[in-house]
Amino acid sequence: MFLTIISESFKQNMRRKLLAIITVGLAAALVTTLLSLVVGVGDKMAGEMKSYGSNIRVVPRSDTINLNVGGVEYNPLEGRDYLEEDQLSTIKEIFWSNNIVGITPFLKVPVFLEGATSHQSNAPYKLNFIGTYFDHVIPIEADASYRSGAKITHKYWRIKGAWPLDDKTDQVLIGEALARAIKANIGDKLALIIDNPSLSSAEKQKNAATLVTVSGIVSTGEAEDDAIIGSLAMAQQLSGLQGKVQSISVSALTIPENELSMKALKDEDSLSPKEYDTWYCSAFVSAIVHQIEEAMPNASAKAVWQVTSGEGAVIQKLQTLLLVITCAAFISASLGISSLMNTTIMERAKEIGLLKALGASNWKVYSIFWSEALIIGAVGGLLGLLLGAGMAYEVGRMAFSSPLILEPIILPLVVVLSILTALIGVILPTRAIASLQPVEVLYGR
Amino acid sequence: MLEVAVQAQTSAAQTAPVQSDQKVIEVQGLCRYFGSVKALDNADFSISKGEFVAIMGPSGSGKTTLLNILSCLDSPTAGQYYLDGVEVSQLEEQKRAVIRREKIGLVFQQFHLIPYLSAVENVMLAQHYHSVPDKAEALQMLETIGLGDRATHLPSQLSGGEQQRVCIARALINDCAIILADEPTGNLDEENERLVISLLKELNAQGRTIAMVTHNPELGMVADRIIKVRYGHIESEGLDDA
Ligand SMILES: Nc1ncnc2c1ncn2[C@@H]1O[C@H](COP(=O)(O)OP(=O)(O)OP(=O)(O)O)[C@@H](O)[C@H]1O
Ligand SMILES: [Mg+2]
Repeated sequence: MFLTIISESFKQNMRRKLLAIITVGLAAALVTTLLSLVVGVGDKMAGEMKSYGSNIRVVPRSDTINLNVGGVEYNPLEGRDYLEEDQLSTIKEIFWSNNIVGITPFLKVPVFLEGATSHQSNAPYKLNFIGTYFDHVIPIEADASYRSGAKITHKYWRIKGAWPLDDKTDQVLIGEALARAIKANIGDKLALIIDNPSLSSAEKQKNAATLVTVSGIVSTGEAEDDAIIGSLAMAQQLSGLQGKVQSISVSALTIPENELSMKALKDEDSLSPKEYDTWYCSAFVSAIVHQIEEAMPNASAKAVWQVTSGEGAVIQKLQTLLLVITCAAFISASLGISSLMNTTIMERAKEIGLLKALGASNWKVYSIFWSEALIIGAVGGLLGLLLGAGMAYEVGRMAFSSPLILEPIILPLVVVLSILTALIGVILPTRAIASLQPVEVLYGR
Repeated sequence: MLEVAVQAQTSAAQTAPVQSDQKVIEVQGLCRYFGSVKALDNADFSISKGEFVAIMGPSGSGKTTLLNILSCLDSPTAGQYYLDGVEVSQLEEQKRAVIRREKIGLVFQQFHLIPYLSAVENVMLAQHYHSVPDKAEALQMLETIGLGDRATHLPSQLSGGEQQRVCIARALINDCAIILADEPTGNLDEENERLVISLLKELNAQGRTIAMVTHNPELGMVADRIIKVRYGHIESEGLDDA
């Protein structure tokens, strides 16, 4: 009986019901895509951002003693203390070695560029030569052919041209800004002279220039844009610091910090033995930092917090935005349903009046329209889900170059939200039912 | 009493009407104004249990207005309406809906059948809003009013008289004690009119209280009593041969 009334209503108003289903369906499709993004964006972007730079920076212990002289940070030992190149392997041999994704050493050497002068004066062009590993063997106990370097820890460097080959020590990357300033191009040869203030100008003159070849132009958005990046061996040779490195970037897979790790961060000694063990055996960045320092007593390791907290904030803002759009989609769908249902109810006023005259209570009449909304919501939601899954797949492929696969939780969520949308859409129109007087509609007054 | 004389003229009179002094319907000072139009003005009358009353009067005199109030579809502007001794005129809509489905069977001049439901489904509709639909019972009811073989037909496939009988079946299915009919034969030919009237007479004989609006003096003669309405006033409450 009840079913007959409902199915008849669908038959009579096929066009309008289809329109309502399409309205809900489109909203559901949009929402499926957005929710997939909200869920997926966390994982995908965290993964993507992970490839942005290393999480841990290792420097000589003395480097961390900062003196503040007249507001200027001043470290008298800066640049004079170094780490040993052959210590690199110990980082890959700590408890969490499997979570260490990459290790890249750096050695910064001030140099002059022969044949180029700065804008302001006729003084020779001064810049930094940064020596590093691009993709270099770091022999470790478990794997003598383990390779690491900037190619792994600094994936976000954008290279025009090619990465230098580690065995061709004269190949370099040139920072984008520097390349523009001196009009250097891929394949150019540059002559570098060590900038050592302790040498007299005569001695400098005597010091033969070292020739390097530009293999690519790098843009990082940071200090490297004004520098030349070459092999660590070349930097060591230029500076005479054989076997030395200045800092080490470590990329590590870590789990999010929690109360325990925060407590450890404040004061490791405050942990109970059991807490200490739990912390030590969890891949918290603080635990990994601790283990690196254990392995390299002369070094100080620091988590690069700015990046970590920054990525969290960006993802959160993005997710909030997506949720706002999701709500907007459902609200507009509700309004659409509302107007369609309103028309339906006006058209069927006489029938509703009759039902009321026969003694139907308001909620029994509402239930006709609620059921219709339920069907519209469910059918629209399911269709939208199909469409949205396809859209999410495509969006994922375009934005993250790997398709977004629907999280199972999204399926019931979208269907329930669609049904709610349709139900909310009929709330306003059904209020008209309550105020509808059977005498007025039955007698056409 | 005069009613007895009228009943003697009708065929249904053999079955003695179950009448008592118990007043099923009683109105006092009933008024219904539509703006400046006084559709009902200070009406007083009562209907006893088991009575068959005809409400008569010229067009626009307020008969439908009166019936709507009696059937709890409309509320009076002023005055009291006691249904089974309970004042119901100012009840809220949801409570009046309960009274409509529990106590009153409505027969409309325009039938008001739902076009996409078959005859039996239209009858079941009243069951649905009263309690639970019972198809066997609904079919039995159609059988009683002589439409057993048309149960699955849509209203558009039925004649006016047949539609009116479906409407009556729908009014009867919940076994309501009161039947209010507004010109139940207004759209019917003589043949069908007679059918419907004898049906109503039979129901009355079973003890139901019936109030029927009609323009047809012959039908008025069938009733126990005529309530004559003019310009919103109840002119007489007795038998009238007008
Ligand atoms: N909703 C309304 N708004 C305004 N006036 C109304 C309304 N309902 C009824 N009336 C007026 O009240 C008066 C009585 O109307 P009612 O329908 O009760 O007459 P009636 O006796 O049933 O007439 P008929 O025999 O033609 O059916 C009429 O003048 C009518 O115009
Ligand atoms: Mg009338």
